[in-house]
Amino acid sequence: MADPVRSDPLLVATGISKQFGGVQALFELSFDVGRGEAVGIVGPNGAGKTTLFDCLLGLEALDTGTVVFDGVRIDRLPVWKRSRMGIGRTYQRLELFRGMTVADHLLVAEQAKAGTFRLWRDLLHRGGPTAAELRHVEEVLELVGLADLADRPVDGLGLGHARLVELGRAMMGAPRLLMLDEPSSGLDVAETERLASILRDIRAAQGTSVVLVEHDLRLVESVVDRLCVLNFGRMLASGPVAEVLASPEVRLAYLGTSR
Amino acid sequence: MTAPVDPVDPARGAGGRLELERVSASYGPYRALFEVSFSVPAGTALAVVGANGAGKSTVARVVSGLVPSTSGTVRFDGIDITRRPAFEIARMGLNHLTEGRSVFASLTVEENLALPFRRALGRQGVAGALEQAYEAFPKLGDRRTQSAGTLSGGEQRMLALARVLVLHQKLLVVDELSFGLAPVIVDEVYQALSRVLSGGTSLLLIEQHVHRALELADAVVVLSKGTVVYDGPVEGVEHQLSELVLGPEAP
Amino acid sequence: MTQFFNYAVPGIPFGCVFALMAVGLVLTYKASGVFNLAFGAQAFVSALAFVSLVQDGWPRWAAGFVSVFVLGPVVGILLDRLLFRRIRTASPLVKLVPSLGLLVALPQLALIIAGSTPDIPPPALFVNAQRVYAHLGSVPLSGLELSIFGCTLVVVGVLVALFRFTPVGLEMRAVVESPRLTELAGVNAGRISAFAWILSSVMAGLAGVLLSPLYSQLDPQNFTVLLVWGIAGAVIGRFASLPLALVGGLALGVGQQVLAGYLPAGIISTGLRPSLPFIVLLVFLPFSRQRQFDDPLSSCDPPSTALEGETRGYQSASTLAVTSGDGVHAVGLWHRSLHPGRPESPWRRLARRPTTNLAWAVGALAVLSALTWVPGDWLLTMTQGIAFGVVFLSLTLLTGMSGQISLCQATFAGLGGFVAGQLADHYGLPVVLGMVAGGLLAAVLGVIVAVPTLRLAGLPLALATLAFALLADNVLFPNSWIGNGAGGVTVPRPSLGPISFVASRSFFVLSLLVLAVTAGVVKLVGDGTMGRLLAAMRGSEVAATSVGIDVTRLRILVFALSAGLAGVGGALFGSLEGSLSPNDFNYQISAVLLVVVAIVGLGSVTGAVVAGLVYETLQKAVTTLPSRYAGLVAVIFGLATLSYTRHPEGFVDFLGSRLLALIARNRIASRLLGRGERGEGPVEPPSGVGRRDDEGLTPVGAPGGGS
Repeated sequence: MADPVRSDPLLVATGISKQFGGVQALFELSFDVGRGEAVGIVGPNGAGKTTLFDCLLGLEALDTGTVVFDGVRIDRLPVWKRSRMGIGRTYQRLELFRGMTVADHLLVAEQAKAGTFRLWRDLLHRGGPTAAELRHVEEVLELVGLADLADRPVDGLGLGHARLVELGRAMMGAPRLLMLDEPSSGLDVAETERLASILRDIRAAQGTSVVLVEHDLRLVESVVDRLCVLNFGRMLASGPVAEVLASPEVRLAYLGTSR
Repeated sequence: MTAPVDPVDPARGAGGRLELERVSASYGPYRALFEVSFSVPAGTALAVVGANGAGKSTVARVVSGLVPSTSGTVRFDGIDITRRPAFEIARMGLNHLTEGRSVFASLTVEENLALPFRRALGRQGVAGALEQAYEAFPKLGDRRTQSAGTLSGGEQRMLALARVLVLHQKLLVVDELSFGLAPVIVDEVYQALSRVLSGGTSLLLIEQHVHRALELADAVVVLSKGTVVYDGPVEGVEHQLSELVLGPEAP
Repeated sequence: MTQFFNYAVPGIPFGCVFALMAVGLVLTYKASGVFNLAFGAQAFVSALAFVSLVQDGWPRWAAGFVSVFVLGPVVGILLDRLLFRRIRTASPLVKLVPSLGLLVALPQLALIIAGSTPDIPPPALFVNAQRVYAHLGSVPLSGLELSIFGCTLVVVGVLVALFRFTPVGLEMRAVVESPRLTELAGVNAGRISAFAWILSSVMAGLAGVLLSPLYSQLDPQNFTVLLVWGIAGAVIGRFASLPLALVGGLALGVGQQVLAGYLPAGIISTGLRPSLPFIVLLVFLPFSRQRQFDDPLSSCDPPSTALEGETRGYQSASTLAVTSGDGVHAVGLWHRSLHPGRPESPWRRLARRPTTNLAWAVGALAVLSALTWVPGDWLLTMTQGIAFGVVFLSLTLLTGMSGQISLCQATFAGLGGFVAGQLADHYGLPVVLGMVAGGLLAAVLGVIVAVPTLRLAGLPLALATLAFALLADNVLFPNSWIGNGAGGVTVPRPSLGPISFVASRSFFVLSLLVLAVTAGVVKLVGDGTMGRLLAAMRGSEVAATSVGIDVTRLRILVFALSAGLAGVGGALFGSLEGSLSPNDFNYQISAVLLVVVAIVGLGSVTGAVVAGLVYETLQKAVTTLPSRYAGLVAVIFGLATLSYTRHPEGFVDFLGSRLLALIARNRIASRLLGRGERGEGPVEPPSGVGRRDDEGLTPVGAPGGGS
């Protein structure tokens, strides 16, 4: 397949392995994401999906393998450097900054990614958010539909809004790759549909590459270009959604034969 | 579709009847339930469905004594359990499988099983009960010395179900059994659940995967914003369920 | 080999006592999730009761039984019921502060109740302490040593039997992870937890009673030292393993005696032995990181309102009562808008932080009074309060804003003071420059502390900094070129060109200037980008690094800045007093500093300043009481930790929220302040953050629940 999107991929992970104690979470896994491509990852629980995210972003060190992002090897870089290169991520188990407002979540991400913090500026009272930063925050708030809640502390938000705050935070600094870890878990049908439309808007507006780990196949189908199936830390299948879901191997491992 | 179980089958034995009467509950200043009433006849399965935040989990927690009700009565086999501590309710044969992780992640598989077994069966009974559990779920036997935190989500549900299967509970409250599970695993746990039901245990099913729950349930209660908006048989409600759950304005 | 043996055997009794402490600490930690630092105080209370009863003529066995098996468990159960049970799932700081407060307060309370320290040397429990009953090789074994050894054996035997032959051990571990899940398995979690407390309290009491004859008189300090050894043993046991903790305690006891035997006399030997716990902590703490499992049912608790450190700095949140027709019904957080250009009435701006305004008014009045009519000794107290306010501000920055717990803040302050004094006294440097140098060197020390502890957070970080403070107290400060041991260092009052700050009123003005500059730094940092980055780091270090924050650099920076501020505060205090000795800023002071500022308010500059003034004023007030009440300040703050667990936002913010509620309830005031038109609406249900909870919660009395 001579796919123009995938001939010059944005992210290439080659032969990555990760072991926890006696459990092999990832085994010689290779994975790539094209520029502007949206990839879905499904797989049974414990298949290594979240570990894959942790390894790509650097929260876990790799046992073997390499990760190349936009032509640069990143597997030895600290997390914050990878993030500033343009990788945004959400968490299945929410990781919000308690006590901070929605807008502050986005602003802190914007400021951190720019890396412009200098202590002397704060001390001279020149460290406040610039107009451009605030404008970016407003834009993303509009995009994810949180403008009305901008000044609310996140502690008081429902799960649906909290997931959108994580999405918005990951969107700051215009990432080239968004990694979303079960963004719909805990959301009801209406909230999930809203999330799908926001994700489509994001892709349309910014051409961001997306990796979506998700159990909700309807959400996956409506967002991604390509589906990967992970099982026991290995890539079982990869390809167009319908094709992958039709494969007997996948049906057995993931969907069961009852359907 | 499973054939509905006759609610008054006398062979199904001893108890498991649950009644809620005008139960209200709140978390601090936040009220989650407003005068909720329904009942689960012995040996039947009732599904409680509703949108996020409708108060489903609170129903389960009030029944098992985790969250105190602010008013109303909960009766189990005719006994008022409204003010009883959770461990006493559990000893009466009412088991609550909580949403998310409902096993002790820091304990091994075997310790997770031994904890309730030892209380219920004494020191001598534990070994036999463990055998029974591993027979029902061979996968658990292979991992008996592994800490439960390292199990996958599906295996954790199996572990929680194994405790219940062996100890013959009268009523099982299951909160979001399918949450975060791959479809194939959901099938598996629902098979285990129907075994529990056919063993004579009453079921109170809290589910977001409405259709899965309705396959098993005899009756359904729909909650919306902490109040009951539908209470009746599954038949005839399926087509208007999304409207009841999501509210009329939802697509 | 024989020599090693001769050194090692006398260490065994120490090792036994350390082991009892270590095992008891691990036991309560496992059973209640709280690392009970008040354990040292419990040991002291039992020891004091024992000695007092013997002095009153009780037979030793009866006195021992009552103090170990009756008083010990009673104190333990009271602590559990009144305090620790309620903070099982709280943040590390909320768990740490009460146990620290009680560590200091309980011995003082016991001394006040007892009336006086017993004047007989502490007796041994069973036997004649001095008589030699047996020999091990050539080493004589006294009755004291044998009784310690015997008691430890019995305790260990009972524990082993309990864990092997009853389900208690398993149930305890279950309760630690989730009491609610344990209850669902049919186990009475409350009873299991109470049992663990009884067990560990008996061990604390026993350790105290057994240990006391080793010292010529009863002194709470010795028991804090004992606690530190116990902590080191518990860390060897990775906070989890009772057998490892036992072995660890024994090894430490033997190890310190062997070290003392082999090392040449002098500062190395006298300094190294007490710093052995520090070395152990630093070596073993990184390995003690075990996976902590959250209670999956924590969302059954009612949502908390403004929690300590969970409101960003002081710029952001104050608690606001949301009104509806029938009055106050829910309390939520209210944050400053970051959107510029949104109009805000000056009235509302004033009303938003009524405590700050009140503090300004009171402060201005106090300054005016200080400069005119306040007598000299109270002026001194006020100046002391200001100097301490500077030190407290360093904690506002480090603990309040960035969530890092430090128990070596007094060490930074001490270093600042010593450097200023040494430079001025020996090298003739102007004192003001000395103060700056002291601050800079303290900042360097802050970096030295931050780097090896980068991977630690919460309790382990607190313990590591505590151990560092101990190391500094024992190895660094006794040297003549720095703290000069008990002799102390002279720190002259400064002068700046023609202006002299020697007179107390002019020094007061200088202190105010220093405070203003420090407060300005902290406020600017908190308001600026750094404050936002720190708040993010405090909220979730994982998320902070994954949005691109260089957490390593930020943490080193905030430690350096905070240590520097503390150093300046210490130098100011030393200059005020004229001299400074290591005891003015020892590791216990560090603990007191954290407790006081946490209770008064870590969330704001006002809190730190008020903390300094309140602390020094109380100290001064106590001097007017009979000497029996010398420890009253410690008791007051120790008991205040009981209310702290309910209001972790601190006294100042609590007062502020009450004021706001009053304003909101008062129709006239709220109309005047423009409160009613603000469309805050009912507070949305708390959920999701840090836990999964999809229950929809409707605020009481809110029609429809929507906003």
